[in-house]
Amino acid sequence: MHVVRTVAVSVFRESVRDRVPYNLVVFAVLLMGASYVLGQLTAGQDVKIIKDLGLAAISIFGLFIAIFIGIGLVSKEVERRSIYALLAKPLSRTQFIIGKYAGLVLTLSVNITVMTLALYLVLAYLGWDQTPAMKAAEEAPILDPALLKAVILIGVELMVVTAVALFFSTFSTPLLSAALTFGLFVAGRFNADLRNFDAVVDSRLTVWVARAAYHVLPDFAAFDVKTEVVHGLPVPLAYVAATTAYGGLYIAALVAAAAVVFSRRDFK
Amino acid sequence: MAAAIRTEALTKDYAVGFWRKRPYRALDALTLDVQAGEVFGFLGPNGAGKTTTLKLLMQLVYPTGGRAEILGRPVGDVATRRRIGYLPENPSFYDHLTAEELLHYFGRLFGYDAADRRRRVSSLLDRVGIGKERRLQLRKYSKGMVQRVGIAQALLNDPEVVFLDEPMSGLDPIGRRDVRALILELRDQGRTVFFSSHILADAEALCSRVAIVAAGRLASIGRLSDLHAFHLRGWEVVVSGLPQDAFDRIRQGAVRATQISPGRYAFELPLDQPPERLLPDLAAAGGSLVSINPVRDSLEDFFMQRVAAVGARDPGARGPEAQNNAARGPAGQSPQAGGSA
Amino acid sequence: MTSLLSRPAGAALAVAALAGAMLVQSARDRWYPRVESIRTGVLYVRSPAAMQRLAFGFRALAADLYWVRAIQHFGGARLETGPDTAGQRYALLYPLLDLATTLDPWFNIAYRFGAIFLGEPPPGGPGRPDQAIALLRKAVVAMPLKWQYYYDVGFVYYWRLRDYKTASEWFQRAAEQPDAPNWLPSLAASMLTRSDDRATARAMWQRLLQSEQDWIRRTADRSLLQIDALDQIDRLDEAIRRVGPDPDGRFSWAFLASRTRLRQVPIDPAQTPYELDPVTGRVRVASTSPLFPMPDETGGGQ
Repeated sequence: MHVVRTVAVSVFRESVRDRVPYNLVVFAVLLMGASYVLGQLTAGQDVKIIKDLGLAAISIFGLFIAIFIGIGLVSKEVERRSIYALLAKPLSRTQFIIGKYAGLVLTLSVNITVMTLALYLVLAYLGWDQTPAMKAAEEAPILDPALLKAVILIGVELMVVTAVALFFSTFSTPLLSAALTFGLFVAGRFNADLRNFDAVVDSRLTVWVARAAYHVLPDFAAFDVKTEVVHGLPVPLAYVAATTAYGGLYIAALVAAAAVVFSRRDFK
Repeated sequence: MAAAIRTEALTKDYAVGFWRKRPYRALDALTLDVQAGEVFGFLGPNGAGKTTTLKLLMQLVYPTGGRAEILGRPVGDVATRRRIGYLPENPSFYDHLTAEELLHYFGRLFGYDAADRRRRVSSLLDRVGIGKERRLQLRKYSKGMVQRVGIAQALLNDPEVVFLDEPMSGLDPIGRRDVRALILELRDQGRTVFFSSHILADAEALCSRVAIVAAGRLASIGRLSDLHAFHLRGWEVVVSGLPQDAFDRIRQGAVRATQISPGRYAFELPLDQPPERLLPDLAAAGGSLVSINPVRDSLEDFFMQRVAAVGARDPGARGPEAQNNAARGPAGQSPQAGGSA
Repeated sequence: MTSLLSRPAGAALAVAALAGAMLVQSARDRWYPRVESIRTGVLYVRSPAAMQRLAFGFRALAADLYWVRAIQHFGGARLETGPDTAGQRYALLYPLLDLATTLDPWFNIAYRFGAIFLGEPPPGGPGRPDQAIALLRKAVVAMPLKWQYYYDVGFVYYWRLRDYKTASEWFQRAAEQPDAPNWLPSLAASMLTRSDDRATARAMWQRLLQSEQDWIRRTADRSLLQIDALDQIDRLDEAIRRVGPDPDGRFSWAFLASRTRLRQVPIDPAQTPYELDPVTGRVRVASTSPLFPMPDETGGGQ
């Protein structure tokens, strides 16, 4: 599979050259600044707010990367026709799609890792100042390893979003792909509401449609354990595993669909 | 001997229009074959279906009907791609990469190790004339340089069959001459070259056989010399330093006379007025000869005849808009491009 | 026209325009002073359910923002002087805390803050123990196994509403939770018997002195000083009754001093002199004292 690896590495290199890592600098600066300001404002809640802000920032920056690089993965290549010379080389269209996806996952992982490290650094700096009494009063340890559970699920969620972006970009323009991916992301975040439609709506047909939609649409709300982790509430590893497995299967479905669509496409 | 390239009734329809999709036949039952070791010219005006054919051969688009084979294997066979090279029309690659990086990237896709890649990349870039620019990002390249890089990437894997779509486009005369030399070199190395062009002179200089397509159909195929002549219509003679009275005298026998600048004139002489007879007159008047070029039927004229022939054989071939497309060939192609004396 | 925008001229024009804009802005701010939206009570999203939708996945962060706003609102209100004629000074405190705790149901600090300060009588707070109880009920639903919130509800009933029976019920429920401290059952019991006992109140506030939150400690400290003041007032009242009014029928410190060993006007634990009502002879804490208003021992604030 060296072909897939080659394509993946080239996607990663392109993202680096595209100045994507600079958002990490923004992230780090944002956190540093926030930690100082918030310490003044929050009557002693700065650890909670840093964790909340840090996890939210990882989620949002990661989302931007996933959508904006994801949609360009295929559409950009088709639009500027660099794909013509590429597909004449000994790689199948499916290998191309998988390689592109793997490259984006690699980019995302590196970015998320760096942002998580930055978050832990800021928390360590904050914890340095605190007395043991203050530390004992926190709901969760300042350098809580459980934060990683939230980060892992954020990562898997973003990989699903990436797969969605990849899928749309195999057949539509970058702008439309971005809109559709973002729309699906929002719908997926509200997914939990669809499940409980029968409590709200009377029509059986609507309930049935909502239930079906709940299962078909990606259930992004399930990946959100940020609040629990920050409050030190237990998040079972089994839950993380099950949700990751769900994400993995959903990704497989999307990548397969993308490969199918892409394989039959005419490049005019 | 097995054909290097073969198509059988290869057809491609596109659906056009917004509401009622009408099929537009870009290529209609193309059947041809190319023998190994040939330099095969695939000629036609813009919109004739040349690029469509190449895309069908590269499986960038899928045929509506018919089939095609390269080196005995159906088109799209991934293993065969190790033995072919392709230069797309007006190629564009990855702006953020340098020429070297691009070739290394493709080289990795072929599975070459680092040493092998370095050797291939450096020798190819030398061969196509990219010097120290090879370390600059492609976004900074001129069109001609991108074209050269395109040729380099098409040859990276020592292909047995090379497909070139409009290889001369974007090149200055020196570049075109280089590419011609390169194609002949490839032929001498025993490779098969399939290239498309709308410039007849290129085909004349290089090809053993040609196929001519117009409006999506094959109009002729065979040796250039066998194809019915591109009629010689006359000569164009450009002179300079000619005084007015000599000009007035000479223009009597000419079909057309234009002034390029004071003292510099172009005459179009009819077939029965060979330019040799003009020369003594010219010398006596104190002028000098700048160039002589044959005036032939343009490729467009030839195609108009061919298309008319095709149309007569088979009315309703494609539709009026397609005929207009075919007729709107390259702008003003007379006289034929050639060298200056 | 193009020559007008040559480089140095264009740059100078840009800088001058920006400076002009800044001057106009300062002038406008002087003529039409900006009013903080926090103070005027503008809350764009009032409904917690709506905010939950809007936050879609960043609820905890939105909760944090509302918490920060709540503190700023409270702090700003505390600093204001003059009468609160419209009763609007703390109007946003409960909505902000409600939003924060709906978005993040485990937002402990927000619940505790509301528990203590929503019940605080004016000018220190909105004087709404009902809001405090509503907030704490949400906490009890979200974290039914934590004894602290049942305890906090009981505390509000005890301290602010003087409803000892209900307070005892809540303390009892707190005692039933896992990890409940062992002094809870006896507290529940003593609620029913000596419920106006200052010793009990002192004990409850003493516990709060151990809190890690600075503002809880300060509140506990103040309340303890108030209880001390109540003791002092009792003794002063006793002394005045013994001495009685002066020959004109009026009560005064001077007359008291002439009949006792009192040397100067007695001061409360916050170093502010007590006031003596000349007609009724009752001693009370001055309205200028930091301890004002004193907790009313018959129910409600002063």
